[in-house]
Amino acid sequence: MVLWALRIGFIVCIYVFLALVVRTLWRDLRAAVATAAPSVGRLIVVASPLGRPEPGTSIPIDAVTSLGGDVNNTLVVDDPDVASQHGLLTFRGRAWYLEDRGGGGPLRVNGEMVDGAATVRYGDEIGLGRVRLRLERPHDVADA
Amino acid sequence: MRLSLPRLRMRPQIRDRESRLLFVVAITLCVGWVSLASTRTGSLSIGDPLPLICWLLALGGLHLAFVISGRDLDQVLLPLVGLLGGISLLFMERLPQDLVVQQVGDRTLMLGDLQLLWLLLGAGVLGITAISVRSVRWLREYRYTWAAFGICLLGAVFLLGDEVNGARLSIHLGPLSGQPSELLKVILVVFLAAYLADNRPILARTSLRVGPLRLPPLPYLLPMLAMWGIALSMVIVQKDLGAALLLFSVFLALLYIATQRVSYVVVGLVLFVVGAALLYSQLGHVRTRVDIWLDPWADPLGAGYQVIRSLYAFGRGGILGTGLDAGLPAVGGVPAIPLIHTDFAFAAVGEELGLLGALAVGTCYLVLAERGLRIAARAPDEFQALLAAGLTLVIVLQAALIMAANLRLVPLTGVTLPFISYGGSSLLTNSLVVGLLLALSDRRAVRGVPAAGYRIGRSAVV
Repeated sequence: MVLWALRIGFIVCIYVFLALVVRTLWRDLRAAVATAAPSVGRLIVVASPLGRPEPGTSIPIDAVTSLGGDVNNTLVVDDPDVASQHGLLTFRGRAWYLEDRGGGGPLRVNGEMVDGAATVRYGDEIGLGRVRLRLERPHDVADA
Repeated sequence: MRLSLPRLRMRPQIRDRESRLLFVVAITLCVGWVSLASTRTGSLSIGDPLPLICWLLALGGLHLAFVISGRDLDQVLLPLVGLLGGISLLFMERLPQDLVVQQVGDRTLMLGDLQLLWLLLGAGVLGITAISVRSVRWLREYRYTWAAFGICLLGAVFLLGDEVNGARLSIHLGPLSGQPSELLKVILVVFLAAYLADNRPILARTSLRVGPLRLPPLPYLLPMLAMWGIALSMVIVQKDLGAALLLFSVFLALLYIATQRVSYVVVGLVLFVVGAALLYSQLGHVRTRVDIWLDPWADPLGAGYQVIRSLYAFGRGGILGTGLDAGLPAVGGVPAIPLIHTDFAFAAVGEELGLLGALAVGTCYLVLAERGLRIAARAPDEFQALLAAGLTLVIVLQAALIMAANLRLVPLTGVTLPFISYGGSSLLTNSLVVGLLLALSDRRAVRGVPAAGYRIGRSAVV
């Protein structure tokens, strides 16, 4: 009887341990989801001669970010060469894409003109007129 | 003259989750120990608790060392290794002690003592790696040195290895012996992670089309063929099916993680099938393994004996198991399953702890996979991500391979069950792997080389 209890007790103990471990994993996952949700990347304003957006600022962005001179864009860019509907920066699947929205202004990735659409990687520089923005990873939870 | 010593920044940090989990592990192992000793003597007894105390003290010491070091290490991996190692200790104490006998000086060490010794050494390796490895840049920078070292190891086994059970696995150097293929897999993961991190953009590009398959530029397919060649030669020369299969599957998985290209996996699987068919038709020992798997009852007292015995063991275990020391591991001093302490350790667990125990052990490896891949997903650069994923896969795939083989789901390939099977090389290597994983999990200390595009994923122009 005692032996039987010990035998079952051993297995029960193992499962108590596993339950605790799974609870830890679940909490970590929840914590990761809670902190990771707000933004998928950020744009660092490298150069902006007219001060809109403010040079040096870091702007957290969502999966769809429109760029242009019009006030209805997600990120309003003020420059004579920037069209009202200039570019669209999207995060699809696991990659960033930059599309030219046909406004007619110059759109560059790392100095190269964008023809239609182009992929953008973290660390790349997007140029609209004289405004230059650098795409970066979102802030790390631990770094914050 | 002034000496400037590097300042060690150590801010002790409480690790409450780890301490709580370790506490449960300690209770679990104590209950197991009492259960084993009581079944053995027939009444309530704690037997000789010294080995268990040693192991628990080692775990406590590691926990304390992690707390003092102040590193932000993963808090689940150590308790997990503690439980698996403790189960290993229980079973190695419980199995017939004369399975392994070694003379050290004037003392004769048996299976249980030796396993305890390896476990303690493993704990030391794990702790030292986890605390002292602050950067993995050196691992990446010396990648071709590692590759050369790995090839030397392989060559050494080819030339100097002894054949045991028809497989040429171990090297003897004076009083020491070891299985280099255990270390080889870690070296290979390090090299592959560095190679893939360097060449990922090229590998992910399409330039060659063969029917529906899109392949990268031809020169970059060569490493894949080289890996295939190494795996094949390991099977032919060393007769080491397990290591070859493990290396090739880890390689394919890493390639897929790095490039996210299904076509690589398809090509790899085709190569695998071609290689397997070739080896099956040409090599006797491969054919024996497959034939045993397909029908062990063709030769129940000869070739199929081991596998049949393993299946019977699982059957006897049922759902709750027979209990520790109540199974049938030895009949008249001869182990019921040959190699029960290494290749068939999972069958021993299945018999004495039953389906529930076996499932629990399987779950432990799943949790290990989750933690390891999580460390990979949070890694600051590509190399560290691939390294963490590869190290995790080495342990988890090996565990899956041997557990499935014990259950006759796949042909038997001689690999150990990580942290449970007896064996110094295997234990030390797996401890090293978990130590590295722990070191990689500290995101405050391990900083890699910032790369231009350190994102893992496909980068094709639309």
